[in-house]
Amino acid sequence: MINDVSVLIAGKAGDGVLFTGNVLAKILKRSGWEVATYRDFPSNIRGEPTNYSIRASLKRIYGRADKENILMAFDCESILKHRKRIAPGGVVFCDGQDVAGLAPRKGEKITFHKFPLRKLAKENFGHEIFKNIIALGPLTYILNLDFSIIKEVISETFLEKKGKEIVRKNIKALFLGMKEAKKVIRSEECHTLPKRKNGARLLLSGDEAIALGALAGGCRFFAAYPICPATEIWQWLAIHLPRYNGLVIQTEDELAAVNMALGASYAGARAMTSTSGPGASLMMEGFSLSGMAEIPLVVAHVQRTGPSTGIPTKTEQGDLNQWLYGSHGEFPRIILAPGTIEECFEFSVKAFNLAEKYQCPVILLTEQDYAQNLRTVKMFDLSKIKIERGKLLSQPELLRIKDFKRYEFTADGVSPRAIPSLKNGIHMVEGNEHDEKGYRNEDPENRIKMMKKRMRKLKKASQELIPPKIWGKKEAEIGIIGVGSTLGPIREAMDQLEKKGIHSKFLQIRTLWPFAHRAVKRFLEKSREVFVVENNFTGQLSNLIQSQVESGVRLKHINKYSGRAFRPKEISTPIQKAV
Amino acid sequence: MRNKRDYHLEAPTWCPGCGIFALFDALKTTAAAMDLDPEHMVVVTGIGCHGRLSNYFKAYGFHGLHGRVLPVAAGIKLSNPGLQVLGVSGDGDAYSIGLSHFIHALRKNINLTYLVVDNRVYALTLGQTSPTSSLGFVSKSTPYGSKEVPLDGIRMALAAGGTFLARGFSGQSSRLASLIERGMKHKGFALIEVLSPCVTQNKLYSYEWYKENVYLLEDDSSYDPRDRNHAWERLNAGGKIPVGLIYEESRPSYEELVLPKKEKPLVFNDLKIDMPKFENYLQKFR
Repeated sequence: MINDVSVLIAGKAGDGVLFTGNVLAKILKRSGWEVATYRDFPSNIRGEPTNYSIRASLKRIYGRADKENILMAFDCESILKHRKRIAPGGVVFCDGQDVAGLAPRKGEKITFHKFPLRKLAKENFGHEIFKNIIALGPLTYILNLDFSIIKEVISETFLEKKGKEIVRKNIKALFLGMKEAKKVIRSEECHTLPKRKNGARLLLSGDEAIALGALAGGCRFFAAYPICPATEIWQWLAIHLPRYNGLVIQTEDELAAVNMALGASYAGARAMTSTSGPGASLMMEGFSLSGMAEIPLVVAHVQRTGPSTGIPTKTEQGDLNQWLYGSHGEFPRIILAPGTIEECFEFSVKAFNLAEKYQCPVILLTEQDYAQNLRTVKMFDLSKIKIERGKLLSQPELLRIKDFKRYEFTADGVSPRAIPSLKNGIHMVEGNEHDEKGYRNEDPENRIKMMKKRMRKLKKASQELIPPKIWGKKEAEIGIIGVGSTLGPIREAMDQLEKKGIHSKFLQIRTLWPFAHRAVKRFLEKSREVFVVENNFTGQLSNLIQSQVESGVRLKHINKYSGRAFRPKEISTPIQKAV
Repeated sequence: MRNKRDYHLEAPTWCPGCGIFALFDALKTTAAAMDLDPEHMVVVTGIGCHGRLSNYFKAYGFHGLHGRVLPVAAGIKLSNPGLQVLGVSGDGDAYSIGLSHFIHALRKNINLTYLVVDNRVYALTLGQTSPTSSLGFVSKSTPYGSKEVPLDGIRMALAAGGTFLARGFSGQSSRLASLIERGMKHKGFALIEVLSPCVTQNKLYSYEWYKENVYLLEDDSSYDPRDRNHAWERLNAGGKIPVGLIYEESRPSYEELVLPKKEKPLVFNDLKIDMPKFENYLQKFR
């Protein structure tokens, strides 16, 4: 029985690969399956090769599979490029003139079908654009999908923006695709998954989940500069924040974005900016001001392949150090790293509470991999949402204070905060070293006390941060450590290892800073061998662990830095070889 | 009715004779004349000698990074439009390191008052050439003379869509105060450049030099500050420096365009979300 299937749609940028894939993903999700997509798009708009993988499974999945089962190729080149990734029993559809290469090679158990998408589109509908819906014909037929669900999704896709006539035409195009598919597809080629109930689930990307979390978490001011792969956060908020009396503003650069967010936050708004590596470099100065002036700030940073402009549309975990050690001077910071779409939402809500409670910058560090790709998730638990504003003073509270000190030396290091327009709250917010009232002060004793005050905030914060999560068998001797998007391939690699009789466990780091050194130390001590899996070259997570935890365990490394996410086998194979 | 003392927090420690004293005085005069509530005022300053102003003037104060006065001020104003938000920068802050913010604030026409204290030198770092220093200016950074032409902030502001452009002079404190008052009352972004001698680091542009090289636009009854062509002509003419209100136009402010009317400022919103409405959004992901 099939319980997992992966469909690859490939062509050139501009072919509509994303559109076809997203419609298919939604149909699969409505059919009750778990879905994870993976886009491998060029950083241009038209002409370069592109592919989009849509995977469906009966169990929870968090990333791409080792192999593809079905390939829908909008051109012949795509087949040459991807045929080595097609699993035995796989099926290939190709719309191309040059079909000479379509015969199976020796030992290759793949079926090839010439499928003239463009010709069918032009002859029947007068326009090539219908090829994208026609392509869904053979795909939905081979997956044996329910026609009523397909119809429902297509109607939803076009009705609002294009109207009834376009819906009708597209359903006709889909029918045509299915009819043509019936002629060529044999029953043994079908990849049928058992039907499931749709249930209370959602299909969305990490960027969308962060935006939803921001709105639910009280964010009402968002300033940013466009950058891949973070722009989707903004695009969603741009539509919805104004409906909640919030404001989204496009700034001239990231310097302005971070400083505008700081201004808004100082004035009392929950403020956020989003960016990726190059923009984050420009934000470093403002990051430091947030730390020094103790202004709450939330930065959603979606990592892409660096350095410099790198590969803007591809994934990497190369910016951990940027936030761990970035900017000048020393100041408290909190770095949250969600590993799933649910965590993107939860941590996004939490980021705003932490920023206000500890009056410091909070970074939500994600990656292109799950930020721009879709996953099915359980309906978010909205009952957990709480807005905690820490020591932000109300007017009556402020009036009761005899001598208000914005940077008062307190036991936990967090001082009361007043916003402009309140009576009895006049103070300075200073980027220079300052006294308790915020006025510039260079006295050495004051400096020491202020440094200690700011730095001790994290001591309290570390008690309520999100602890690492252990997956798998706690008693297993093989340990794996990872952060962020590697969660998906690591968990599947563990299943693959288990089948080979190798028991393993996985420590998912969820807060990069303050570092959970005790939990990590315990994990290391209870493992015979530990592999740190990272999407980067230098092993930034591994270096962090080694700088924070003393233990006799020597860490082994599995690194990938091609700009692509791990496939499960790329983790399970080296572990299997090493143990 | 408040008086000047209500805005005086502390005696400034600028060099005796510094042009910023006049600005400090003019600001207090304006605030008193307009009877502004200090608790509803925010003074945002940049890096440079002017930056200390927020330490001396009694109001909410924000002393941030070099060149970033305008984004901070914009964030404050847009979050709580009821506040009177003043940005203060030097020539380096506004026209060099913060130049892009300057241009884009003018385009957006956010309702801020922006005072640029121009002393034609980097004074706090002990004397380097600034973007407004003249060609050939000799300083610690250009010992063989500056090879760059000076930048005219007001001319640039007119090109960028500025809606209130004025120039004052530290040697004329009461005129400066009235320009600031007009700027504060302007609906939109008000730029007031203040020619402000640095008595320590810039001997070239002294009070005497300015007195000889400025003229008052108000003395010319034919000058119409609402006529863009008049403004261009004066700014392009060269020679003596025009002082006074140079250009003014009415254009909706950014807040008028983006912030819903009659609602509370966004800082006073109840952040608790309407769950049924939110769940309805989630339906789009079903």
